[in-house]
Amino acid sequence: MRRLLVRTLLVMLAGLFAGCAVRPPVAPPPKVPEVEVEPVGPAVAPLLRAARELASAGDLEPAGAHLERALRIEPRNPLLWQELARIRLVQGLYRQAEGMAARSNSLAAGHSQLRRENWRIIGRARNALGDHQGAKEAFDLAGQQPP
Amino acid sequence: MKRLFSRSTSSGKRSARRPARKSPRRFFGKKILLAGLLLAVLLASGYVLHLDFVIRERFEGRRFALPARVYARPLELYPGLQLTAAELVEELRLLGYRETASPREPGSYRWRESRVTLKTRDFTFADGMQPATTLQVDFAEGRVARLERVGGDGHLALLRLDPALIGGIYPGNNEDRVLVRLSEVPQRVLDALITVEDVRFYRHRGVDPRGLARALVMTLSGRSLQGGSTLTQQLVKNFFLSSERTVRRKLNEMIMALLLEIHYSKDEILETYLNEVYFGQDGNRAIHGFGLASAHFFDKPLMQIDLSEAALLVGMLKGPSYYSPRRQPERALGRRNLVLASMAEAGVIDDQQLLAARILPLGVVERPPRGTSPYPAFLSLVHRQLRENYRDQDLRSEGLQIFTTLDPWVQRAAERALVGRLEQLESNWNLPAASLQGAVLVSDARNGEVQAVVGGRNPRYEGFNRALDARRPVGSLIKPAIFLTALQPPHRYTLASLLDDSPLLLRQPGTEDWQPQNYDKQFHGPVPLYRVLAQSYNVSTARLGLELGVPEVQQTLRRLGVEPERPGYAASLLGTDAYTVLEMAQLYQTLAGGFRISPRAIREVLTFDGRPLQRYPLAVEQVIDGPTSYLLTTALQRVVTEGTGQGLNRYLPEALGVAGKTGTTDALRDSWFAGFTGNRVAVVWLGRDDNQPAGLTGAGGALTVWGELMAALKQEPVLLAMPEGIEHVWIESSSGRRSAAGCPDVVKLPFVVGTAPAETASCATPREKGTVRRWFERVFR
Repeated sequence: MRRLLVRTLLVMLAGLFAGCAVRPPVAPPPKVPEVEVEPVGPAVAPLLRAARELASAGDLEPAGAHLERALRIEPRNPLLWQELARIRLVQGLYRQAEGMAARSNSLAAGHSQLRRENWRIIGRARNALGDHQGAKEAFDLAGQQPP
Repeated sequence: MKRLFSRSTSSGKRSARRPARKSPRRFFGKKILLAGLLLAVLLASGYVLHLDFVIRERFEGRRFALPARVYARPLELYPGLQLTAAELVEELRLLGYRETASPREPGSYRWRESRVTLKTRDFTFADGMQPATTLQVDFAEGRVARLERVGGDGHLALLRLDPALIGGIYPGNNEDRVLVRLSEVPQRVLDALITVEDVRFYRHRGVDPRGLARALVMTLSGRSLQGGSTLTQQLVKNFFLSSERTVRRKLNEMIMALLLEIHYSKDEILETYLNEVYFGQDGNRAIHGFGLASAHFFDKPLMQIDLSEAALLVGMLKGPSYYSPRRQPERALGRRNLVLASMAEAGVIDDQQLLAARILPLGVVERPPRGTSPYPAFLSLVHRQLRENYRDQDLRSEGLQIFTTLDPWVQRAAERALVGRLEQLESNWNLPAASLQGAVLVSDARNGEVQAVVGGRNPRYEGFNRALDARRPVGSLIKPAIFLTALQPPHRYTLASLLDDSPLLLRQPGTEDWQPQNYDKQFHGPVPLYRVLAQSYNVSTARLGLELGVPEVQQTLRRLGVEPERPGYAASLLGTDAYTVLEMAQLYQTLAGGFRISPRAIREVLTFDGRPLQRYPLAVEQVIDGPTSYLLTTALQRVVTEGTGQGLNRYLPEALGVAGKTGTTDALRDSWFAGFTGNRVAVVWLGRDDNQPAGLTGAGGALTVWGELMAALKQEPVLLAMPEGIEHVWIESSSGRRSAAGCPDVVKLPFVVGTAPAETASCATPREKGTVRRWFERVFR
């Protein structure tokens, strides 16, 4: 009986929170097609392409070098920082991965998709470093980014 | 064996005439003789084996000690790059490109108004070889508008120029050379060499008795052009350079020459010879090999030298200093023409070629391309960073290729600003001429790459490097560490917090009483925190630092990448601690964005044949959270807009949002300025080597160098993306209370959400409205 009461209360509470979280839209938001989050300029595009190819073949070191070269041309491009973060993560350079992803975040205001991925990278890096609490916080932040 | 046998027979004959009793002794003597001869043969062959070992090791092991070559950053060309045609041409000249009507050779260009056509050189970068490319670059509105490969598939997205060589790290004996392969050596060089030095090179076996005899005859008949040694013998001689002229040495030389020819092909020997021969001295640097000689005398690659130049080089071999074309041009000219004449005589050139080549001037460039680096201060930073990973002897012998971050334009701007301003300051302030010294370091704000280092007012001087090695008190340059400690979570202070700038006396057992003073000898009462930093008030800063605790401030410093002096005293808070320009660059690099990035001077190291050996990757670590970094940068920008850094407005547009800090020490001994724009961090120190008062404040001295330097370079604004969790609030600056736009004495300051003052100043609109607004704000923040 008491359990039922608690459950009912919980459901009501959940409903309340849901009501708070989701503003009733005046019109349904237009479905935005998934675009490349932060397109890169034409000078950097071939470098990014080459870096991705190298990384897919496991040549992480030269892939990183290509991204650093790209970053010299577009130093404020959060996508490039994220690509580099991911490479460092695969290389097992977790502190570097975390630093690069944080750098990407600092430049990615408004790019929620990029930020989500950055927080995931940070979470994985922290887990690998044994900082499970910090990792949880990062994963939570990844979840909190607006879709 | 034959001789042994015949001798024993002759002694046998004698034995017939002598009494038989002597025969055992004779038999014994024969034995001794035999054993002795055997021993001699053994010793001789042992010796030959030894020589064989020595010469093979010398030839095969490391044939040459190759100095490490140090390169500047390559210029990246791409459409949209901010660059004018004139600037590109300047870069090309720096790289030794020649202007021609039609650039067909690698390393040449043509400039017509807004179009530059050029042909790059083959160059091996860490990510592979970039072949020579003919390129058309069009400019418009101060940018690269279009990049096109000539005779190729249309426009190019990106291309690197070859990087400028900025110096070498030489072997202990200061031998320098540029290796050439035999296939790269023009036939005219080989023809001249073989004709003059060893005409039977391809026919003898290392030693040439006929050549020796002919040389003897020639010498006796007074036509002494040919030495008796073969090229192989000369190579041996060069390998073991010694001036002794003994029969023994000559014998060794011959044996080794024979041995070399047994083991190695003619081509291998010739190639080694071409790279080994000595062409004289350039200061304390020894010029070895045709490759470097060609660069040193004609400033061009060996491939490009003409017949008369080839003849000159070959002619010099007989006596590099006696026939030095720079010091003995007449003698060198005569010698060159003699070489040409004997080439004609030998039929390797025809008479027409002889006539054409003979009338040419020597063609030697007046000033040899620098052997020593024009940027010794930067090079010493490179050397220092390399020594963390390499043995010094490897740096000096393995021919490593070091790719650095030096930007020649930034370096030049830094040198000019420092040298020019020092002279100006001395004359403005009636200071003794050449009494001031200074140092500058510039790095890329985004990735920590060091773009320029100036170690003193004579930038070419290789001595004391003040940017790296002079440790001087930094004064207020250290203050941002205190304010960062105050602003960072748990946000004990805000930019509007009122600090107490009233007299302060610190009594601590075991130390002298400490009574900090402001520069203007005044006290300013309660002052908002941002203004304390902007005006660089000492007393309130010291009080703040003591409240936070010296150890905590030191902890902040460590986090920013600077190792503070131990133990920390209260006076450390006002910068009595001494640091180098490099350390301050690290500090401000971190402040410019909140990420710790070590200043790096090297990108990568390649082996001499272009294989990647080591990378120095970009490494970043966030050490200041976004909101706090935003607050501190704002405060550092206030230094420039309204505080001690206002003088920068003479040099740089306000829209850049420059952030920086002045530093002045006791009795005006040191003058500092450190700060950053959106793309560069720079630190400048001025002072005297003897540590006497220089008579300059940070604002009066170092700031002007900083301003002039940064104004000469392309700058990007400090773009502060407002991080989440920051709000802007109008503050009455005298009271630190919340106010509103339009009220007197107000300033709009950023706050971490939830930390802005709640109390409202009297001006801020009707009380009721304010209350309602505050209520809303509390609900919605």
